[in-house]
Amino acid sequence: MSFFGFDPTKPDSGRGSGRRQRDKKAEKPLDFEETYQGFGEHDQEEDDYLNDETFGNATELGTDFDFGYGKGSLESDVAPKSYADHGRSYASAAVAGPPSGQTGYGAAAVQGLDDGLDFKPMESLWTNQPMSMPMPQQFQQPQLPQHPQHPQQVLSMEQLERQQRQQQQQMGIPAQQQGFVGMPPQQDMKPMGYGYSPQGYMPQIHQMQGGGFPNQPQSFPPQAVPPQNMGTHQYQPMPLMFNRQMEPHQHPQQQVASPPSNQQQHLPVQQQLPQQSIPIGLSPQAQELGPQQQQQQSQQGSNFPVQMDSTRNSASPRSQALSPPHTPRDSNSRNGRRGSMRRQQEPLTEEEHKRLQIRQAKVDKILRHSGVMTPRDKDFITRYQLSQIVTDDPYNEDFYFQVYKIIQRGGVVGESNKGLIARAYLEHSGHRLGGRYKRADVALQRMQSQVEKAVTVAKERPQKNKENFDGAKEGVLGKISSTMNSKAPRRQLQIPTQKSEDDESNAAAIDEVVESLNGVELSSASKARRRSSYAFRTMDQSAVLCRSGGRKFVLSLIESVYSEVLELEAQLRSGKSIDNKALWDALHVADDSYEVSPFISILSFDKGVKIMPRILNFLDKAQKLRLLTLFFSELSHLNIIVTSSYKTNPHPTDVQLKKIELFQSVFLKIIVSFLSSSAEFLEVISLLLALIKDNNVSFISTSKIGLNLITVLISRAALIKQDINRGTVLSSSEISTWNEIYDKLFTALETRLALVFPPEEYTNRVVAISSSPSLLSANGEQTAKNHYYDHSYIWQFFASLALSGKLNHQRVIIDEIRDEIFGTISKAEELAKSTTVDEQVALYQRDKMYQDLNLFLNVMGLVARDGEITELK
Amino acid sequence: MSSETPLDLLKLNLDERVYVKLRGARELTGTLQAFDSHCNIVLSDATETIYELVDGELKSRTKDSEMIFVRGDTVTLVTTPAE
Repeated sequence: MSFFGFDPTKPDSGRGSGRRQRDKKAEKPLDFEETYQGFGEHDQEEDDYLNDETFGNATELGTDFDFGYGKGSLESDVAPKSYADHGRSYASAAVAGPPSGQTGYGAAAVQGLDDGLDFKPMESLWTNQPMSMPMPQQFQQPQLPQHPQHPQQVLSMEQLERQQRQQQQQMGIPAQQQGFVGMPPQQDMKPMGYGYSPQGYMPQIHQMQGGGFPNQPQSFPPQAVPPQNMGTHQYQPMPLMFNRQMEPHQHPQQQVASPPSNQQQHLPVQQQLPQQSIPIGLSPQAQELGPQQQQQQSQQGSNFPVQMDSTRNSASPRSQALSPPHTPRDSNSRNGRRGSMRRQQEPLTEEEHKRLQIRQAKVDKILRHSGVMTPRDKDFITRYQLSQIVTDDPYNEDFYFQVYKIIQRGGVVGESNKGLIARAYLEHSGHRLGGRYKRADVALQRMQSQVEKAVTVAKERPQKNKENFDGAKEGVLGKISSTMNSKAPRRQLQIPTQKSEDDESNAAAIDEVVESLNGVELSSASKARRRSSYAFRTMDQSAVLCRSGGRKFVLSLIESVYSEVLELEAQLRSGKSIDNKALWDALHVADDSYEVSPFISILSFDKGVKIMPRILNFLDKAQKLRLLTLFFSELSHLNIIVTSSYKTNPHPTDVQLKKIELFQSVFLKIIVSFLSSSAEFLEVISLLLALIKDNNVSFISTSKIGLNLITVLISRAALIKQDINRGTVLSSSEISTWNEIYDKLFTALETRLALVFPPEEYTNRVVAISSSPSLLSANGEQTAKNHYYDHSYIWQFFASLALSGKLNHQRVIIDEIRDEIFGTISKAEELAKSTTVDEQVALYQRDKMYQDLNLFLNVMGLVARDGEITELK
Repeated sequence: MSSETPLDLLKLNLDERVYVKLRGARELTGTLQAFDSHCNIVLSDATETIYELVDGELKSRTKDSEMIFVRGDTVTLVTTPAE
């Protein structure tokens, strides 16, 4: 056997010969033609006479297609004049009435000439059938002088149109309105007298009239075509076309000049070319007319001069252009036409003319690309654009807009998201007036339904993305901003992690195990330490933080708490059932593994405090109680207590005072609302017990926050006690427990009650800081109050302490703080006497002091007034 | 929650006081309101310190702003402020 032609029988030649063969091949250059074994040889396709057509060789280079209004005309220097011409024809059309349709056509023809539009591309692009040129009349005009021998035949097309129009008018339909029947609104905009666009729609109109298929494509002329014609004439025009490529201008001439019977020939071809316009619509009509047509044509031929005369005044440039008596110069040269136009201008005043010009320019602008898209196209594009900005989940993907909306509407969320987007879109795109009919409501409704659909599209988007379907269309309908759409919100920097997810979860699991192991060890060891740490906390916040896992740990806890809360809020909005376990875990309330509970450390940060109200929304009562118990039992570790105590922080800074204010307004509110709404007597007592048992009460009482907290607890307990006394009686065990705890509290505070009052140095400093016009506390409302340190919280504390105490307790209190009571009274009297300060402020301050003091004194049936303490009557 | 990117660390300091060192011998201390992947930063209650060498002598002046946007390309360092 032999492969590739070498002989295996010859010894030692196998390899060598192969190589030699290769060498031989390498010597001569490769001839690819050979490799095709003759298949590559083929005749030049010279017989394909449509090649020029197909590859556009017949078209002059540099010809631009212009599908809208002739751009060239707008930009050319002729533009102003053409506006003026339009103005004239427009106005005269209005004056002339019924024949205005013809006028319009004429104007169109003139326009076509003025524009210098190049029709060849259309010719070669659409058809080899010159009859179906969009603007046959425009072709005819330049030809007119050159072919004076065919005027009658040239006119046949126009005559056909005219006949139809006459017919329609007879049928009671004004020619002008033809275009509006059943047409989409944006097409309505076109006045017939306008140059370009009507022609594109005219066939539709005609066809509508003839066949009754309003929006049917052109490829189905209502007329049945004789089958024999189809076969024979389908290809006939093509060679004709080919032969005459060199003189395209003659083309329409020849074809148009053909008698009506010839038009039948074109029909089959036109059927195959759905885009063809005018003549298609015309020809069936023409056919329909049958023999009458001929008569009418001849009639018109004789009528024509008469008609010309009548239409001359009504500004029918077309009739001028078509009229046989015109000299070639007159119809061909611009001057001649302009001259005739000027004659028609006479009835218009300057102002009118100007207005018309402006109006025309506007109409021009509108019409320029008008009708390029159908309403469906527009809807699609609107929908597509909207689908980039709407979202099914506005609160997650469009959060800031939602917030902005609420701010804008003053908190009323009346209108739906979709309605708002629709409105915004309309306003942005300048369509809020509702277009031609000023139907803003209709426009809004439409847009709303668009948004509705767009949302559906947006919903489907993820699936489409998988198939990379949407990606293919990305940016097709305009650039989509990468940062501004809901689909691609700005993201954080994403660094791909090399670890696979499995590895991560494993690592996390290991961490957890280690942590829990450590936890067992820590919790047993640390508890003793923690409980014995009664000493004053230092200002070193990091020390406290260290004992609860470190600053970074606590901060990351806050972050996870935030994300959990956001998640829960999203669930709440979407009406799903809420599972707060993750949140509860993130709070580390039950976490004993640290010396100081991480939850307490969370409260060291402003953002941790700020999130608290939102956290409590998702906790049940037992959880809240547990959280608060922990809070009170570790109060000494709370950073804010340390900060707000004059003992540990004798020189508070502006920032710290701010923090204290924030804590008071946020967290104290939570506690008060919890205690007053749902807490029962025993629960209040248990919280107080937690506070007394695990903390240095005396230290806590030196801080404003701590004192406030104690006040809240005991006043609440006293209130519940009174309440219950009115209704159901408290059990004796409850009362005895309460008395016991109160005694404990009192004992802890006894002999140190006077220390509750911060030293003057401290109060002065706080006043100085908070009243100074600093950047951080620029609140105008505080001016009057902040000139003095507000002692009301201290008197509130004594009032509630005295309220719950027995007589001997009250006596002790008064004994201990007697100096403060009289000090306050004397200060108040001093203020009244002094003239250094503004009298108003002094009086206010004096009253305030008495008011605060009396909070306490009233409890014991006393009242301080005008420097004296008397019994309350 | 584990930190995976450098900016995750910055995220932990949201709503906290931070110290930002900038190009051009400037530094800022303020409350971190927002940041992005370009290290563009928004600070509130910020104090900017500008150091200048006037006749061979180092001088500094400060500017206070209630809210300030810092373009990320000037940021060289972000840390917690030394109290």
